[in-house]
Amino acid sequence: MNTQSRVSIGIIFAAALLAAGSAHAIPAFARKTGMSCSACHEAWPRLNEFGQQFRDNGYRLRHGRDAPPEQPSAYWPIAFRTTVGYQWLRQTLQQTDSGTATTQTGTFGFTGLDIHSAGTLADRVSYFITYTPALRSAGFTLSPSDGDLESAWAGLHELLGTTWLNLRVGKHALDLPEDEHRSITLTQGYNEYHFHPAGSAATFEPGNNQVGIEVFGHDDLSRLRYSFSFVNANGAPLSNNLVSSPALWGHVQGTRHFDNDILPAVKVGAFGALGWHPVATQQLTTGGVPTPVVGSASSGAQFRRLGGEVHLYLLSNIYPLTLTGVVTYGSDDQALIQGGTSDASFFAGWGELSYTPTVNVVLVGRYERIRSKTQGVADNPRDLGNLTVFTGGVRYTLEMSNRTEVALHGELSSASRVVDASGNLPNALTGLMAIDFVF
Amino acid sequence: MRPKLTALMLCALPLFPSRADMSPGGGGTVAVVVPPIDLAQVTRGRGVYQRFCVSCHGERGDGRGISAEWLNPKPRDFTRGIFKFRSTPSNSLPTTEDLLRTLRRGLHHTNMPSWEVIGERNLKAVVEYIKTFSPRWNTEAPGTPIPIPPATPDGDAARARGKELYATLGCFNCHGTSGHGDGSAAPELKDDWGERIAPFDFTNGARLKNGDLPEDIYRTFMTGLTGSPMPSYADALKPEDGWALVHYLRALQRGETK
Repeated sequence: MNTQSRVSIGIIFAAALLAAGSAHAIPAFARKTGMSCSACHEAWPRLNEFGQQFRDNGYRLRHGRDAPPEQPSAYWPIAFRTTVGYQWLRQTLQQTDSGTATTQTGTFGFTGLDIHSAGTLADRVSYFITYTPALRSAGFTLSPSDGDLESAWAGLHELLGTTWLNLRVGKHALDLPEDEHRSITLTQGYNEYHFHPAGSAATFEPGNNQVGIEVFGHDDLSRLRYSFSFVNANGAPLSNNLVSSPALWGHVQGTRHFDNDILPAVKVGAFGALGWHPVATQQLTTGGVPTPVVGSASSGAQFRRLGGEVHLYLLSNIYPLTLTGVVTYGSDDQALIQGGTSDASFFAGWGELSYTPTVNVVLVGRYERIRSKTQGVADNPRDLGNLTVFTGGVRYTLEMSNRTEVALHGELSSASRVVDASGNLPNALTGLMAIDFVF
Repeated sequence: MRPKLTALMLCALPLFPSRADMSPGGGGTVAVVVPPIDLAQVTRGRGVYQRFCVSCHGERGDGRGISAEWLNPKPRDFTRGIFKFRSTPSNSLPTTEDLLRTLRRGLHHTNMPSWEVIGERNLKAVVEYIKTFSPRWNTEAPGTPIPIPPATPDGDAARARGKELYATLGCFNCHGTSGHGDGSAAPELKDDWGERIAPFDFTNGARLKNGDLPEDIYRTFMTGLTGSPMPSYADALKPEDGWALVHYLRALQRGETK
């Protein structure tokens, strides 16, 4: 495996960890409503139906007490979350001076810090801000990180007097089959939200928050929902944003309740993305050195995603055994791939089984599989980029009140990805024992 | 059903004996049909309660959850079996449908939201669990709902009659002569738990806790809000007078009174 490949896989795992670690759970809402975290979270931080309705309604219970003047003057909508503990990482096929080797590292550390402020600015105006400070010293990821405003949006609700028309403007999370920011697992997020075909220049990842506008709506109980986000495909270099790198993300979901103990609820949905990533820029020549001009990117080449989802809530919709399946087909235009001779495409999917026997306990197991269908470069091995991930974990919530939440978290994940033409399949096995807390 | 929880409920059975055939007066001369406890429903309801209700209403259903200190109005204490929002006569137990209505709608301008989203099966289950907190449910049957006849026509005459009733029934003592909730008795009002309680202000655009439909207002006159200073006027109001008062108060809410 070459150095570039090692760096790539390291970045992939670090990004997955960072993405999973930056999660949403807002005790400020619990302080505001007087409710325990369990009212909104099936298992913190994953939302249940009540929590989804609360979020869709713009962090409102719609009972006449949602606007800021209704709150005590001492109420301040700020929360923070971090995870501290011990993480162990074993990686196979690592390059060393004496050839490939298996390496092991273990460290006490942390995932980073999320500082959230969220709530209502007026009865039908919501907002959400998440700031992640820069880390100079190492967390679990062994490298410093920059600070970031991960979320910054304002929402306008019930436009024209209907819950079917709402807007979010700013940097927001796309409406996904399962919100990665609320994943129960910490060492792995949902890898398909961050997958690109081998060699693709496209940087749009639905798992990353995007800058743009979201139009969304739902029925009174949020059992039928839709969301369309029109965004600047995040991270497209030198782009002039919506002009040269626009992306449209759409998602519809429907939930049906049944009057039986075996399958009390089912949720199904479909989603897709259509976007363009620039492949050309104007060049400014200064002293003979060509320099790309920021904002001059053009000649957008298309990328597409299309998928479906099924969530089966077994035994109960309050303490469910949830079986979730998501499949996605994606393709990137050959123009996005250096030396590309055809469009690159892939199938991705994951299945997850989670069980919440009590408000304090959740067990989760997930299998993710991404397989290349066609390579953009004819010489590439057919399986380049293929990814297989197993993740299993258990969380026990020590304290869950209307002020804080503290959980003990144990997790093990195994990720293998074909990273080079030799077909090498390095594996990263990650173990985590942690205390996850939010205040 | 979870085995551990089932065992717990079985152990608790002596605390919740079968709803016996005793009359409210205890004389045993009048048979009262009390629905039997549905253990499966109670068990399910306990799970629902633990997830959604306990932080306000408390483990024992006494309204002393960890959040209660900061809430106003205070969460309902279920242990005394006193419920404000019913379709049944004053001081009687509510029907299951009454409790479900409160759960489905929530109580406006309180911390009680609508729970309709969690599904009818879970709402019915938690109602059965709530009934285990007070022994009243073991010895009394819910009251018979007071009928709500069709509304009489609204109009100047009806509103004038309603205004007259507002005065003669003494509504102004608490709600004020103009419906602002500033009657002379208002500052001293407390509920059965000793908490200060403010009469409703009909003029500030707020929605009524028990619902804003004309039928909801009519029902409140007739049943009263047990546990609060709001009495029942079932014996004092003929149906057409009840509707006249409804029309007057809705006009007050809309600022249409002269």
